[in-house]
Amino acid sequence: MSSQKKRTFQIEAFKHRVVVDPKYAEKTWKVLEHAIHEIYNHNASGLSFEELYRNAYNMVLHKFGEKLYSGLVTTMTSHLKEISQSIESAQGEIFLEELNRKWIDHNKALQMIRDILMYMDRTFIPSSHKTPVHELGLNLWRDVVIHSSKTQARLRDTLLELVLRERNGEVINRGLMRNIIKMLMDLGLSVYQEDFEKHFLSVSANFYCLESQKFIETCDCGDYLKKAERRLNEEIERVSHYLDPRSEIKITNVVEKEMIDSHMHTLVHMENSGLVNMLVDDKYEDLGRMYSLFRRVPTGLTVVKDVMTAFVRDTGKQLVMDPERLRDPVDFVQRLLDLKDKYDKIINMSFTNDKTFQNALNSSFEHFINLNARSPEFISLFVDDKLRRGLKGVGEEDVEIVLDKVMMLFRYLQEKDVFEKYYKQHLAKRLLSGKTISDDAERSLIVKLKTECGYQFTSKLEGMFTDMKTSYDTMQGFYASQSDVGDSPSLVVHVLTTGSWPTQPSPQCNLPSELLGVCEKFRAYYLGTHNGRRLSWQTNMGTADLKATFGKGQKHELNVSTYQMCVLMLFNNADRLTCKEIEQATGIPLLDLKRCLQSLACVKGKNVLRKEPMSKDIAEDDTFFFNDKFTSKFFKVKIGTVVAQRESEPENLETRQRVEEDRKPQIEAAIVRIMKSRRTLDHNNIVAEVTKQLQSRFLPNPVVIKKRIESLIEREFLERDRVDRKLYRYLA
Amino acid sequence: MRKEDTVKLISAEGFEFVVDKEAAMVSQTIHNMLTSPGSFAERQHGEVTFPEISTTILEKICQYFYWHLQFASSIDLNSENLAVVSGKETEFPIEPELTLELMMAANYLHT
Repeated sequence: MSSQKKRTFQIEAFKHRVVVDPKYAEKTWKVLEHAIHEIYNHNASGLSFEELYRNAYNMVLHKFGEKLYSGLVTTMTSHLKEISQSIESAQGEIFLEELNRKWIDHNKALQMIRDILMYMDRTFIPSSHKTPVHELGLNLWRDVVIHSSKTQARLRDTLLELVLRERNGEVINRGLMRNIIKMLMDLGLSVYQEDFEKHFLSVSANFYCLESQKFIETCDCGDYLKKAERRLNEEIERVSHYLDPRSEIKITNVVEKEMIDSHMHTLVHMENSGLVNMLVDDKYEDLGRMYSLFRRVPTGLTVVKDVMTAFVRDTGKQLVMDPERLRDPVDFVQRLLDLKDKYDKIINMSFTNDKTFQNALNSSFEHFINLNARSPEFISLFVDDKLRRGLKGVGEEDVEIVLDKVMMLFRYLQEKDVFEKYYKQHLAKRLLSGKTISDDAERSLIVKLKTECGYQFTSKLEGMFTDMKTSYDTMQGFYASQSDVGDSPSLVVHVLTTGSWPTQPSPQCNLPSELLGVCEKFRAYYLGTHNGRRLSWQTNMGTADLKATFGKGQKHELNVSTYQMCVLMLFNNADRLTCKEIEQATGIPLLDLKRCLQSLACVKGKNVLRKEPMSKDIAEDDTFFFNDKFTSKFFKVKIGTVVAQRESEPENLETRQRVEEDRKPQIEAAIVRIMKSRRTLDHNNIVAEVTKQLQSRFLPNPVVIKKRIESLIEREFLERDRVDRKLYRYLA
Repeated sequence: MRKEDTVKLISAEGFEFVVDKEAAMVSQTIHNMLTSPGSFAERQHGEVTFPEISTTILEKICQYFYWHLQFASSIDLNSENLAVVSGKETEFPIEPELTLELMMAANYLHT
């Protein structure tokens, strides 16, 4: 092209000489001007494109480009003025239609004119830096028609009025709307933004401000959210139908701000229908709606999350602090699980499993579970209950689910060592009384604990299982070696490793003489096979089966504890005994004795003893008789001890103390470990490190840590720095 | 060949060349003539008169249209053919005495 242009120079010089007519330019322009008129009047059919093109071509070629261009501007302007007037005179409804029709006309005419004057577009305009014909036409249309004093405001108002009518539910001509908006966008983004979008947004803000005010006064939270969501969708749909896609984010921002952001707190806290009510009533749909709407505004989810957290903490606190609940630990834990399930479901169904919500929920649970110091005990009791009886008839997978849930609660506990303590106790009881219903479930739970807290946590629990197994083998060996067992009662001994089991030093009770023989035999057998061991009887943990004959000759087999057995055996030789006498004869600690007498004499249907006076409580000088009139439809009668399902207050204190005692060496070990690697460290850092190390088991108290440090200094593991008294040194 | 698909080009001396529209539209000017909205005379009648172009030149132009149609597009599409295209047999022959006038017409027709 450029090479051609260079040659045009030669041609031009050549042509120039040919043209002599000074009126040439004037005449040619007249022809073109006439053509433009005709085009605007829809009369172009008679015109010859070639002729017009040739005229324009020649004008440009002969240096009349300037004249051609300015002539075009004047002619087009005058035409647009006419159009503008006819649009202005259009009344009411047809205003937009007229505008649209004229716009289409103008576009068509503009294209024709551009085609005719293409040569000017191609050569003259770039070299003289003028606006190309098409753009010129649009600019003129904008300045003359759209920005004419009467039309500009009217157009804006008409458009906004139509939007308002649509918002109020009327059907409007969306196609026309789209064309007009498209026209504004064709005229340049700034025209669209200045003449329409800006006003549109501010009017919308007003509209939604008023509407939301009205809604919030009349609707409950759920309805409001429904309405807000519908409005939002309407606006998005509106944008997709006839606005610039770039407006979507702006108008949704307006709706979000007016409908949600400014009423957020009112909505969440709305009485009888706010977030709290939705949570209580499990309104998944409403909650989901709230989530998706509030997510759109910056602090929305934080507000929802905070309210939910506060509410969960509150409910949880009420639950764990409720003295009613404390009576039934199984129910207590079940309620915790239900609560967790409920919120898990809400987060899953309504909050799209949002991680931040899950974290908030977890921290709330952690917070309130640890409010009650007995939570570890109760959780262990719950497991105990499930493993004793609750899991009958349910499939293995269900067992796993229940255990998994319990583990989840366990994870929230800060005092995991307390749980361990209780769990050990409960497990020991289950194993010794043979009440475990499923070995698999027991083992699976231990595996879970192991993955959660490490080998150290469960090694003793596993030791308990091993003891059970070896005891079984030992008993077989024992009976195989005893050729003549004779009449003596059969004995089953569980040999328990000290340390693995929660044994308490209990005073030896006096076993009935019938038993002593076989016990001695076993002791001899056991010590004969295992050198250097010591056996001591834990009579407080055993059970016994007794055959008893009652007054009318009916026989029953009584399943009782070792203590109860000792008491009942006394009645073989006596008719009446006082509590005091029994205590002296058996040597059972008074507290345990009372408990076992209570279960023998005061439980209806199992009262193999009679008591005078008849009362619930046992006093020291109460008298007991063998109850000849005892009857039962069962051959086997199981007499449970009145087991304190949950620990009594003093016992609880005792356990606490033992836990505290157990913690001491752990804290000391941690301190020594840390100091060994650091050599010197200041007080605050030690406390922080120890807390961190022990976090998985319990939260050590700083005061206790300080005491341990002092004790270690006394024992010369550590010393204080001579200059800086806050600094400790490790003494190797 | 249907009438709608062709266009009649008329030279200054009145000679008529009937060519495919597709070929004629190689010229941007003719393209605009035949596609511009509204109905100009050329579009209605399917003929274009060029009072400033002689028969010899117009004939050469028509030849060029077809040459362009055949080779220009293949250059765009497939660069492997470029060597063949630039070879002797595909070169578009222009007699030196026609050069000047042909250049002027090319400028006018925007080809």
